Amino acid sequence: MKRLFVVFLVTCFLLAGSVTLAASEDELIVYHWWTAGGEKEAIDALFEAFLEEHPNVEIIENPVAGGGGGIMRAQIKTMIMAGNPPDTFQITYGHGMISSFASVLQPIDDLIKGYNIPESVYEWGRVDGKMYGVPLNLMQNNCLWYNEDLVEELGIEMPIESIYDFLVVCSEIKDAGYVPLAVGAGMGQKFWLGTLFEAINSSLPSGGAGFLNEYYAGNVSPSESSVFKNTLQVMKTLIDNDFINDDFSALTWDQAGDLMATGKAVFYVMGDWAKGHFTAMGLEPRVDFGYQPFPGTSDTFVGHADCFVLPVGVDKQLAKDWIKFLTTVKAANTFCPIKGAAPFVLDAPLNVYDSITKEILGYFRNENVAKVLSQFGAPPESYLDVFGTAFSQFFNDPVINESSLDNFDYAYEEVFWY
Amino acid sequence: MSKKIQILLFILPAIVLVGLFVYGFTAYTVQVSLTSWRDVGFGGTFVGLDNYIRLFTTDRVFKTSLINTLKLTAIFIGVTIPLGLLLAVLLDLKIKGRSIFRLIFLLPLSFSFVASAAMWTWMFSPNIGSINAFLRAIGLEALTQPWITSEEQAIVCIAIAYIWQFSGFSTLVYYAGISGVPPEISEAAKIDGASTFQRYMRVIIPMQKPATLTVLMILLMYSLRVFDLVWLMTGGGPGTSSEILSTFMYRTAFNRNRFGYGASIGTIMFVLSVIIIIPFFLKLRRSEYE
Repeated sequence: MKRLFVVFLVTCFLLAGSVTLAASEDELIVYHWWTAGGEKEAIDALFEAFLEEHPNVEIIENPVAGGGGGIMRAQIKTMIMAGNPPDTFQITYGHGMISSFASVLQPIDDLIKGYNIPESVYEWGRVDGKMYGVPLNLMQNNCLWYNEDLVEELGIEMPIESIYDFLVVCSEIKDAGYVPLAVGAGMGQKFWLGTLFEAINSSLPSGGAGFLNEYYAGNVSPSESSVFKNTLQVMKTLIDNDFINDDFSALTWDQAGDLMATGKAVFYVMGDWAKGHFTAMGLEPRVDFGYQPFPGTSDTFVGHADCFVLPVGVDKQLAKDWIKFLTTVKAANTFCPIKGAAPFVLDAPLNVYDSITKEILGYFRNENVAKVLSQFGAPPESYLDVFGTAFSQFFNDPVINESSLDNFDYAYEEVFWY
Repeated sequence: MSKKIQILLFILPAIVLVGLFVYGFTAYTVQVSLTSWRDVGFGGTFVGLDNYIRLFTTDRVFKTSLINTLKLTAIFIGVTIPLGLLLAVLLDLKIKGRSIFRLIFLLPLSFSFVASAAMWTWMFSPNIGSINAFLRAIGLEALTQPWITSEEQAIVCIAIAYIWQFSGFSTLVYYAGISGVPPEISEAAKIDGASTFQRYMRVIIPMQKPATLTVLMILLMYSLRVFDLVWLMTGGGPGTSSEILSTFMYRTAFNRNRFGYGASIGTIMFVLSVIIIIPFFLKLRRSEYE
């Protein structure tokens, strides 16, 4: 008996590590990073809408906060490498980002057949001619948010038409004792400086779609590009003149947004998801805060999307139903209005959207506005980290010389050639 | 079944698990470091020592992160050990309210790193942080600092957070060591006319060599692989000013998908730890035998 007990114990120990718990067919394991104000409410509503059509299933959601999805993507990679991917997960939509994962994803062309979105949006996400992600919400990145009360108090005329006017206004705001432009790139979120770079670049005469599309394709050498250097020059002007908050490297994106929302700063450059954050704070669009495309960029739409993907090895009908569900008007119009995003699907009624979202959608659907897939979708995934670090170094030592440009060349090589 | 076989069977699961998950995966990391694996899917080809050559020749962040790791270790160890000893002596002095002080000294040890990071990030924030707010409130605005937003100060701020978190551990070990000193030795010194200060300096503290070696080794092992507070407080920034080897390894492998290259950084961390730890380990073993 004693011997048997010993053998039993040893066997238990040996087997303990090899047992894995398989998810059942009526459970959907979803990973996403929507945890901030507005985002969480939006994904909860989306799950609820899905469950209305699948009442007998359970959604096991795993929200992983932080890093604009970077932390969740890292977690997903370890799960994939361990051979235990979730049923579906969120990534940003764009050929650069998706190609980083394409070898472990299933093509979903058959599942999203008939998804009524512009052909250009399909093109944004195709990798080797195949679709791997279903884009859910359109986001504009080159947005300028402003505090309506402060703008009125300081007599600033909105909209501001050019980057030069913007710099003049920033100077006036600083003299009045306010922070002109709120920036947050702390706690590992250095990549938001790349969003500012995109907005400023698009405002310059030779910047915007023509430059950014080439730049994100790896066809530009930063030190040899006058457009790149001019963009740095504007960023340097913002830093040297104290037009941005000096604690930018200690704040997250939403904390920086709070500077504007609470009347400490006048402007804030961030994608349109910031609107969801502001409304979750109880602020009213066009009353408490306003929007315009970043000065000088009304002819350029820098944007991207979030999408859900189907990992290789997942053959669960429920996961496929989820992907199909995301192509519906119901999904778009449940999720997007709450998150503060615009829908891609062309036949979605727009009466549920606020005026800012309608304006953003108007830009996107305007054929005369050039479209640029942002840093979150166009370049390889490593761009966010490598260039976030390079921009952070520049923001802390804003000098444009051979050494600093060489640093950007090194970063470019890291992303595109190494 | 003989007793030896029974013992072997009992420790077999531990041997298998430690062998697999510690030594097996260490060996696997070394193997991966010799490949060009740079895709989320499995892949990469054998590239020999290319990753290591790149690290030591062309990589610009590796050198910074290596120096930062050593800097953080030096500040952390250099302050935590004397501070722990000092606090342990204070506790041993049997002052009034000793149990409350003991609780205060040990409390940081029970904090999660996430909570500590959030607290210290807020305290070190230049505009809304409590440290600068306090300095302003008492009229010392000239002493306010940029703290974690400064390339020069960020690593020191992180070190302070680690010191705060681990000084309780150091205190605990020293307190146990001091409590273990036979009272007759201390009494003999007292009879010989030694003051309290002299008793501690000449008798009790010199007897804390084993405690010092234990604390030193454990803190060294920890400080060479710290990640949490650095990642949560600064993410390695501003720029790369607080980047250490572990955050650089994580960033390289999981944010940049350079898994082979990331593994080579991990291997160097392992080698560095072994080189630094082994002399202390041998010394500790020798003092145990003595």
